[in-house]
Amino acid sequence: MLRLFGLLALLLLALALALSVGARPVSLAMALEALHSFDPTNPDHVTLAAIRLPRMAAGLIAGAALGIAGTIMQVMTRNPLADPGILGVNSGAAFALLLGATLLGRSDQASVALLSLPGAALASALVFILGGGLRGDVGPVRLTLAGAALNALLLSLVTAIVLIRQDTLDLFRFWVAGSLTQAASRPLAEMALLAAAGGALALAMAPQIEALSLGSALSRGLGTKPRRVQTAALAVVTLCTGAAVAVAGPIAFLGLMVPPLARIVAGHSLRRALIASALMGATLLLLADTLGRVVMPPAEVRAGIMTALIGGPVFMWVARRLRPGASA
Amino acid sequence: MKGALTLGLLLLAATLAALALGQVRLSPALLWQGLSTGEGPGALVLGTIRGPRVLTALGAGAVLGMSGALFQSLFRNPLAAPDVMGFTSGAGLTIIAAIALGLSLPLPLIAAGGGLLAALLVVALSHRRGHATPPLTMILVGLGVGFVASALSSFLLTLLPHTQAAEAQRWLTGSLAARDWSHALQVWAVGGVLGALALAQMRRLAALQLGEDLAAGLGLRVGAARLALAGTGVLLAAAGVAVAGPVPFVALMAGPLGIRLVAARQLHARLLAAAATGALVLVLGDLAARAALPGIQLPTGVMTGLLGAPYLLWRLSREMEKGEL
Repeated sequence: MLRLFGLLALLLLALALALSVGARPVSLAMALEALHSFDPTNPDHVTLAAIRLPRMAAGLIAGAALGIAGTIMQVMTRNPLADPGILGVNSGAAFALLLGATLLGRSDQASVALLSLPGAALASALVFILGGGLRGDVGPVRLTLAGAALNALLLSLVTAIVLIRQDTLDLFRFWVAGSLTQAASRPLAEMALLAAAGGALALAMAPQIEALSLGSALSRGLGTKPRRVQTAALAVVTLCTGAAVAVAGPIAFLGLMVPPLARIVAGHSLRRALIASALMGATLLLLADTLGRVVMPPAEVRAGIMTALIGGPVFMWVARRLRPGASA
Repeated sequence: MKGALTLGLLLLAATLAALALGQVRLSPALLWQGLSTGEGPGALVLGTIRGPRVLTALGAGAVLGMSGALFQSLFRNPLAAPDVMGFTSGAGLTIIAAIALGLSLPLPLIAAGGGLLAALLVVALSHRRGHATPPLTMILVGLGVGFVASALSSFLLTLLPHTQAAEAQRWLTGSLAARDWSHALQVWAVGGVLGALALAQMRRLAALQLGEDLAAGLGLRVGAARLALAGTGVLLAAAGVAVAGPVPFVALMAGPLGIRLVAARQLHARLLAAAATGALVLVLGDLAARAALPGIQLPTGVMTGLLGAPYLLWRLSREMEKGEL
């Protein structure tokens, strides 16, 4: 319980930093003032309302969603390298979104954003099957390589679209690596609802998912229906990843780093681990975004690149410890 | 023998098709006239645009294919290709960095530096004291190095002004657009030297494939032999990246496909088959990229990615059936 409060305090700190740090530093007092008595002629207030608040909200949604998606993926596949980015689920959502934006002419942000859901669902189902999921044994190495291949395929398709339609290049350049800068124009409320639905489903199904991760034979003995639990897990991953990609673009490695850290805080209960992952994912993404604003002014390093730069080494570290051939 | 002939004929047919097809279509008669006499309406297209482009593709495909085959034999794993293991991403990153910083070193040198750096990182990061590094661990660590290199590349991409960014994006995807004779000459000269160097090491590779202990018993200095082979492989990949960009999957596909086509058992023959297959894959990929959609030129890498990723997936399912992963 105490640890959970610690996480909450960290998140609040990250939120405060996300509001006040940037090209135009804003004091916290000013931020609070803007919240309760907004003055449209005060440039600080405008900065906050038009840029920082949506950006902070996007970080909160995408970070928490990716933390949950990562935890569910890692538990379901018993693979410490599972992450919506590495396994191609992000790219699936991104591809569907870009395709939709190209075909529909980007007229309605909210409905285009919804396209990320079928993209994420297809990609996660595909990678699960390719990784050997239907045979009931998902080897970590196999799954990771299958994910990398799927990623490459989807990114080739994305590149093809971008190069055929030159007008999408900038959308792609600032979006495909994951960034919170466009947050104000993204459908934040809708995606927050979807991510919340995914999170709620994850919490509700946590005991069954835990049972299934012990192995399907044992879990059947405990009265779990594997297909139903797998479908629910797929729905969680789809809702969370789809929402995250729609507000922040495909941010990789957050779902990789957060779950093991959350386990340290939460212990063995999956429910607690899920809550801790959501808090930690949001905190890390907000910090990465804030850090990206200050490391190379006036240029901004996008949040997705910051998470990749931190997460890449984590990936390698986990890969070193993995025994190839072992099934867990 | 029959296989080698088939492969040779395929390569010839693909080359002729790549020379004849495109936005301006040359009839066989015009193609022959242009090639044999250097005159006629075909000569201009062949001499300034398609000739150097196709020759560059052949050369780059050959060195990438050789590099892939070399690593696959060295690690005895069909997934151990320089593009899966992050070497080509490393080479791509240093080239983008050089463009962003305005450095004017020759591209092959820059690419070689990046590729070698990535390879060193993979070796260093996957090494554990007192343990032999399993090839799969090295492949996964290489995948991670590739992720980081790609992230850095796309970061540099956002710093470039719009026109340069479009150019660099094309470049990072792997492209053969606007190649001139100097590119073709470069990849054939560098590739020729490196290819000969690789062929000269085949006996050592054969000894290594017997297993480390046996190789050492035969009087081979295992560490040095491995280092020399891996170094040659990285340089071969870099030579390809320097003229064609980090085209994905050519190196991965060439070796196994070549062996399938030629059914050779000797390592020399396998390496040459991989080179020919790499050339075939890249020439066909490039032809598809510029001729698949009328009026639109896609970068070659998009096509090899679209073909190569399904290949990798199929390969994985095969490995799975054999129970090797």
